[in-house]
Parts: sequence; C-alpha cells; structure tokens
Amino acid sequence: MISWTAVWAIVIGLASLVAAYYVIRSKDFVYASSALAILGSMVAAELAILGLGIVSAFLVIVYVGAAVMFIIITVSLLGLRGDERRDSGVGVLVALLTAALWFSVALSAGIYGLYVAPHPVGMTAAVGGLLSRYALVVALIVIAQAATLVEAISVARKGGGNGGK
Amino acid sequence: MAMAMAANPVDLAIVAFGILVMAMGAYGLTYSRNLVRQLLSVEVAFNGLLMMLLPLLSVNASSATYFGVVVISVVSAEIIVVVAILVSYYRASRSMSSDNLEEVPE
Repeated sequence: MISWTAVWAIVIGLASLVAAYYVIRSKDFVYASSALAILGSMVAAELAILGLGIVSAFLVIVYVGAAVMFIIITVSLLGLRGDERRDSGVGVLVALLTAALWFSVALSAGIYGLYVAPHPVGMTAAVGGLLSRYALVVALIVIAQAATLVEAISVARKGGGNGGK
Repeated sequence: MAMAMAANPVDLAIVAFGILVMAMGAYGLTYSRNLVRQLLSVEVAFNGLLMMLLPLLSVNASSATYFGVVVISVVSAEIIVVVAILVSYYRASRSMSSDNLEEVPE
C-alpha cells in the first residue's frame, strides 16, 4: 500500500524533473530563470516531506526569494536572448555518465544503509546549535557574504565604464 | 544493494530524483555555449545535489539542517558574484558566448 506521502514525493519529483528540463531547453532566459525558481520550490517541498522544515524554509527565502530572483531581474534588465550554439551529443553523454556514476557510487558504497529519518529540529534549537557548535563557521559565512557583496558591486561597476551614465 | 533496500522507499525515490536532476544540470552545462545557460545549469545541478545529499547527511541528529543552511548561504553568495561577473563581461563584449572568453577587451 503506497502512502500519500510517497505519492506526493513522486509527483513533486517528476515536477522538479520537468522544471529542470525547462530550465535547460527554454529559449527565453527569463522563463528559464523562472523555471529555476519553480525547481527550487519543488526541492524545498521534497525537503519538507523529508522533515527538514528549516532547510526548506531557508531554501525558499534565501535561494529562491533572493538569489534566483536576482538572476531573473538581471536577465530581464539585460534583455538577453537564448539563441546559443548547442552540442547535444556531448551533453547526453555527460548526463548519462554523471547519473551512472552517482547511482553506482550510492548503491555500491551502501551509504543508504546509514540513512535514518531526519530528526525534527526547532528554530530555537537550530539557531542555538549553530551559534554554539558552529560559531566559527557562521562568522566565516557572514564575513564571506559581506566580502562577496562588496566584490560583486565592485565588479559590476568596474565592468560598466560609462555604461551607467 | 541489500542495505539500500533497507531504507524508506520515499527517501530512495527522492534521492533518485535528485540524481536525475543533477544529471540534467550536467547535460545543460555541456550542451550550451551560453554563459547564462551554463549558470542556470549549474544551479539545476546544485538543486539535484541538495535533494540527493540532505537525506544522507541526516545520519547525525541535526547535521542536515546545519549543512543545508551553510550550503544555501554559500551558493546564494556565489550566484551574486557570478551574475556580477557576467554583467561585467556582457558590457565589455556584448556577448554571452563562452567561445570567445579570451578575446574580451580590457
């Protein structure tokens, strides 16, 4: 007897495959970027099914809501087109090799035997754990985020020359 | 293989879908010569990797949560930097093709 959770997981997985295909094949980059946002939402839904609620919310807020929206807005403002040269044969070969490699590694190494159901973590416990056990990592991430933001602004302004005037 | 069958079929299905999504990202990365498409393909592969690895990283109680938060933060910063570089490149060369990367004017 298949549970409704399994049905939802399979349906959302199929939808994420369709969204991924649309990201790769769509000729309009704005639509492709929007499909990437949908893919991120589908992955967040899968993570929520697995019990990783905080990661799911973080993925939607930070990744889909900020980073992917940044891509969409940038592509829209630049007016980029998707009429690029394509090598279909190499792509299929690389995709098959990648899938075969990961399936063989995952199955032969037996790492699925280590799997346990994700332990539900509340927001207070997650933040407390991050700040107590991973304080140095959090500090490094904050510094790295600030540095990349400054660097991104610097690169964008430098490359433009008089483009902004 | 016998150990793999011991896991929950729902989790195995999610991991399998993650591998397929990551393979599609690898396909897009080599299929196109456009830098924007390649960036989008890398992000597709990242989503697949997240879907595949987060269930496996929950061997310890809450390590998947910490790992997910850290990785998503880093990838979001990476997207901002890469898009800034692409904007700069597009302004300099009026092209998004990766074929003539070495011909960009100073």
